[in-house]
Amino acid sequence: MSTPALAVHDLSVRFKTGADSRHAVDGISFSIDAGEATALVGESGCGKTITALAILGLLPDSGVHVESSAIEINGRDISGLTGSRRREVLGRDIAMIFQNPGTALDPVFTLGRQISAVYARHCGGGKEHIRQKVIESLEAVGFSQPQDIAAAYPHQLSGGMRQLAMIAMATVCKPAVIIADEPTTSLDNSTRAVILQQLERLRTLHQTAILLVSHDLATVRQSCQKVMVMYCGRLLEKTDCESLFSHARHPYSAGLLSCIPQISDTRPAMINSIPGQVPAAGEFPPGCHFAPRCPRVESMCNQSVPALDTDKQQAVACFRPL
Amino acid sequence: MTGTTWQRLKSDPLGVGGLCVVVLFALVALCVWSGLLGQGWSEVSGERWENASSDHWFGTNLLGQDILQRTLFGTATAFEVGLIVTACSTILGTLMGALAGWYSHSWLDELVLWLKGVLDSIPFYLFAAAVAFALQGNPWAMHLAMIVTFWTTTARIIRGEVMRIKEREFIEAARAIGLPGLVTVFRHVLPNTFHILLVQGSIVFVAAINTEVILSFLGLGIQDGVSWGLMLAESSQEVLAGHFGNFAAAGGSLFLLLMGFNLLADALQDALDTRRAIR
Amino acid sequence: MNRRYITRRVLYGIPLILGVTFVSFLLMVYFGPDKTYELLGKNPTTEQISEVRRALGYDRAFLLRYGDYLRELVTLDLGLSDSSGEPVSVILKRTLPVSIALVLPGFILGNLMGLALGLLAAWYRGKWLDKLVMSASVVGMSVSFLVIIIGLQILLCTPYGLNLFPVRGWQVHDLGSYLYYVTVPTLALVLVTLGYNTRFYRAVMVEEIERDHIRTAQAYGASPRELLFRHVLKNSLIPVLTRIMFSVPFVVISGSLLLESYFGIPGIGLVTFNAITSGDQPILKAVVGLTGVLFVLALTVNDMLYSLVDPRVAKP
Repeated sequence: MSTPALAVHDLSVRFKTGADSRHAVDGISFSIDAGEATALVGESGCGKTITALAILGLLPDSGVHVESSAIEINGRDISGLTGSRRREVLGRDIAMIFQNPGTALDPVFTLGRQISAVYARHCGGGKEHIRQKVIESLEAVGFSQPQDIAAAYPHQLSGGMRQLAMIAMATVCKPAVIIADEPTTSLDNSTRAVILQQLERLRTLHQTAILLVSHDLATVRQSCQKVMVMYCGRLLEKTDCESLFSHARHPYSAGLLSCIPQISDTRPAMINSIPGQVPAAGEFPPGCHFAPRCPRVESMCNQSVPALDTDKQQAVACFRPL
Repeated sequence: MTGTTWQRLKSDPLGVGGLCVVVLFALVALCVWSGLLGQGWSEVSGERWENASSDHWFGTNLLGQDILQRTLFGTATAFEVGLIVTACSTILGTLMGALAGWYSHSWLDELVLWLKGVLDSIPFYLFAAAVAFALQGNPWAMHLAMIVTFWTTTARIIRGEVMRIKEREFIEAARAIGLPGLVTVFRHVLPNTFHILLVQGSIVFVAAINTEVILSFLGLGIQDGVSWGLMLAESSQEVLAGHFGNFAAAGGSLFLLLMGFNLLADALQDALDTRRAIR
Repeated sequence: MNRRYITRRVLYGIPLILGVTFVSFLLMVYFGPDKTYELLGKNPTTEQISEVRRALGYDRAFLLRYGDYLRELVTLDLGLSDSSGEPVSVILKRTLPVSIALVLPGFILGNLMGLALGLLAAWYRGKWLDKLVMSASVVGMSVSFLVIIIGLQILLCTPYGLNLFPVRGWQVHDLGSYLYYVTVPTLALVLVTLGYNTRFYRAVMVEEIERDHIRTAQAYGASPRELLFRHVLKNSLIPVLTRIMFSVPFVVISGSLLLESYFGIPGIGLVTFNAITSGDQPILKAVVGLTGVLFVLALTVNDMLYSLVDPRVAKP
């Protein structure tokens, strides 16, 4: 068995508020192979983005406590790295694409300068060489006039173009892992397709491992091989995309699937939704966090926490799976 | 000011400390106004430049007047200047800001903004000098100069808040039932900006007391009576000869009161969460 | 930079300049003291009175007199000082360099130190260093300018303190004497502005540090130095520039007014102070009018600088 591109072991994030601390992410483990796209799905507020930021070590250091036994990129543990040792990794071995391309790029520098700063920092080389690399990476995401894009400031481009430039920045050093946090949420449908297509193309081209954080199952189905369902900081189901969409085993996954609006629906999302709301961190129920909203709940679910049965092909953390 | 605000203010030790200092000085001012304290500020009660003693806690000045008495009276002067300037400039600023905000982007708004721009363009002490010059020794020239220039910040903040609140539903509702514009402003919009006025008011108060000192030193300030500014101006002649009574008493009181107000304003700002608006 | 943007900014400045000059005209010239009787002997005749009034321009129409005032400001032909009889423009030309030499070091230091402390406090926001800097700045804001000046004088210029610097005066002929006379006023200026500056710059920096693109830069391995000195600082240049431009007239005029009258330094502030005390109208109306105009010009230049600093402004 080959080393996975990204392996996360037992990652927990706790927020300290006064005397007590609350789990935002509670002991999750997963791995992604090179060239594979895995989705992390769940409703908003369930800890997806925090997981992503924790992997990169970008959470603020005061009031937040991150623990993990290891976070490995191509077998190398990065979880203990601090300061310049960690900065070496960020952007070179693992890169992140953010949700809002409108604010995620610095407005006072041209895109070319921002991308070349990343390349110069990690890969170095002469001025001309760096410029060439920037142009190449912009070309690779589909810009036909990469010089013009490099000379442009973010506000001169549309949201979709900014996100493509962001992808160019993420891929300029050809990292082993890219985390994309809701990369298409703020974009319209046709742009969304372009972005996903480019990500897909670069993934197969460079054999990049992609962690796609999303609440949109339609996007996930289109572009990922594997999927993890997250709820209240825990993984409830972990399987390949096909199995989940054909037969979801966790009631929460099934609930999420039934929420996908169908083309034939006249009033999407209103017809099916999971009753109740995601509880706030610190108000998680004991036992299975999903129990209060679960249609298949029984007394056991309120008492103990079901573990993820990782030995199975379609792992699920549920006492009464479908 | 709601209960939670008060709770939050109470849990901020610096804010409570500031409040205590301000209340203490306010009590001194009240006692001076009601004739209980500081009445001997102009009497010659000793030799010139006596050292501190049990009779004269801070010594005496050039004329043999008791510095403690003058400091106490100066507290009342400070509050008089602070209260008058704060009240008048807040009212003026609120009116101008409310008008400009409610009729935003009309000629009226442009006029208020222009006026604000003009007044902000003249360095303040020069403006005070110009007002004093025009009024030729009128004792209210200083107050007037401060009021006329200090309203602009309040107006800017209120204008922004009114423009923001104007869009909200309950104002739309008031409009829908046909309440005329200005009535709506005063009945519904202004009460929603009260907390901002409170914070801004304490900032203006600090500015007024601070400015009185400088203007009095320049000879543009308090004309009769005594103020900390006049005492400091007096002390500038004395410190070279080693007489520090005026400087210590007036400078110390001024520092304590300003510090109290600054801490209170900060705590209020945090408790009422108005940072965004004031900045 | 695009021409239409510049034109618009300049046009915007015109009503402000008219307003500023009009206010100073109203206060200093129109409502100012009537000098007729000062210039006349005892028991003047009606003819003498009207002659003097004509010579002083008092009989001219309101708007014409305003026009005269504007012309004086534009041509810098500002008349003669009442007290010394010297042309006002000559006095200003002689004293302005002194004032600039006096306040420039304190102004620059006050802003640089405020910027550095603000950046430091913002980076360590919520930590003890931030709390220390912020508490110190509240203390600084609570000390009056006059108290700072007198206190520093006692500490540094008298036998009761270190007695290192002159009590007053300005006998500057070389760098050594310049430093000898400028140190105490500079320290006073830095102390009085530092608290306000630090607080302001901290607020600006915190806002910039918390922006999304800072996190992006972090996610791509930018070092704290790069984050602060490239991304944060360049993005905050507009509020910082505005602050500096806005405070120029305050520091130059108000600062020099107090410092020069206190330390007896023959700059524009002392001239103004003397004009205030003696009621020297030609000097006052020139100083008020000119500083107002200069302030508006500074604002206009400031707006133009924006478009150089921030590509989002001045979009065609």
